[in-house]
Amino acid sequence: MKALDGVTLSIGGGETVAIVGENGAGKTTLVRHTNGLLKPTSGSVKVDGVETRSTTTATLSRKIGIAFQNPDHQLFSDSVENEVRFAMRNFRFPEERIAERLEWALSFFGLEQYRKSSPLVLSGGEKKRLTLASILAWDPDVVVLDEPTVGQDSLQKAKLAQIFSLLRSTGKTIVIVSHDVEFLWPLQPRLVVMSGGKVVADGEMAKTMADRGLLEGARVTQPQLLRLYAGLRDAPASPFVDVSQARDWASGKKSGRRGG
Amino acid sequence: MYWLRGGFVFTRVVSPFHRLDPRIKLLVSLEFFLTSLITKTVPEVLAVLLAILGVAALAKSLKRIARTMAFSGLFALFIFAVNFLFGIGLLNAVVYSVRFLAIISSTSIFFVTTSPDELEQIMTWMHVPRDVVFAFVTAVRFIPVVMLDALQIMDAQKSRGLEFERGNVVKRVRNMVPIMIPLVVNSVIRSGELAEAMESRAYGSTPKPTSLYKMNLRWYDAAVAAAGLAVLAAVALYIYHYVHFGA
Repeated sequence: MKALDGVTLSIGGGETVAIVGENGAGKTTLVRHTNGLLKPTSGSVKVDGVETRSTTTATLSRKIGIAFQNPDHQLFSDSVENEVRFAMRNFRFPEERIAERLEWALSFFGLEQYRKSSPLVLSGGEKKRLTLASILAWDPDVVVLDEPTVGQDSLQKAKLAQIFSLLRSTGKTIVIVSHDVEFLWPLQPRLVVMSGGKVVADGEMAKTMADRGLLEGARVTQPQLLRLYAGLRDAPASPFVDVSQARDWASGKKSGRRGG
Repeated sequence: MYWLRGGFVFTRVVSPFHRLDPRIKLLVSLEFFLTSLITKTVPEVLAVLLAILGVAALAKSLKRIARTMAFSGLFALFIFAVNFLFGIGLLNAVVYSVRFLAIISSTSIFFVTTSPDELEQIMTWMHVPRDVVFAFVTAVRFIPVVMLDALQIMDAQKSRGLEFERGNVVKRVRNMVPIMIPLVVNSVIRSGELAEAMESRAYGSTPKPTSLYKMNLRWYDAAVAAAGLAVLAAVALYIYHYVHFGA
């Protein structure tokens, strides 16, 4: 059985890409190839023109930071500070740079008050933020997030969405593997749909998500705002990206009717 | 990692050895264990090892047992080196290291061919307290899950620049800390959750639970047990004769 079959994908610098698909579609397998955790048995994976087969995971990880789904699979240090320092020490950052990046990461993710706490006593959302902080601290060019919204409440999801917007504005390449189309929709990333180890669609999220047949085949649901948009009689030219757009459109309609 | 996963975790295979009553599989495994302990010369202990491999072939698990032996080979080399350096003699050092391989393989063949349900049956038959049986069988069932956890933790730490094969022995041992802590913490959390889930489903409410499955000795189980005991007796008599009357 092939976990990935005939996948051809090229991701440019600064892009935000979301990979969606049912369980077992090959999403996580695909991203594990990006930093050399898995090496292709045929074909090739290149990062900045370098074959992943010809280098180590540690070397590739300096450029590509992967945040795995379960934070409990990486947290081990005695304090939040040391957890953030761990990777930077592995990458042999000078101590002054480590201190500087540590402060930035703790402040960016709102974790300053926990700096001396054990990572193991943090809540689920805080642990997730800590894993992201520990990765962004070494400032990788590419950030890969495997199911970042799993186990997160709506407030944490909103916080994550803010973080992604900030990261995009810094020019980072972001790859998000997720089932959560509602979370992805306002970000409007480039969408890669996977099914049975193959890439079945790759393009703008709004266009790809409009293809219901494709989504049904890949067992992906349409976001609610898109379903709402599709059901409107005199809909605007493009779908609503967030609830505020839909609300503004609805109030415009209402006032138009009153005025008429 | 493969050493544990491949060598000590049950895999469902259709083979004459798998079909045996679990008590007979345990008996065969114990016979090999004892035989490897009482044999004293290189050809004898090698014969035991070959016999184990023969049974592994019969159980269609030769590849797995051979891999287990290959991984245990490192420890066997260590045993050989220590014994040889402490002046116990070349042949004795070889006997000890091959005996180690035979002991590992004889244990491995039992676990590879005996399902957790069968383990439970054997322990219940031995009148081991129910809670102990449950804890042991659950631990065995969870080995693949813990292995998967360990692999995922290793991937997460490698992705943060940790290089396990870098540095001297002390550094390599220290490199295991980022693996062991999350693994132990996850296992403790999982065991707590499992205990709560079991209690929520009325575990322990029946003082003497009955079992759906019963062990039955069939004619071929008896034949294998008799043959095994006969071989063990023959080996013991041979060793006794060898020790008391010389070759």
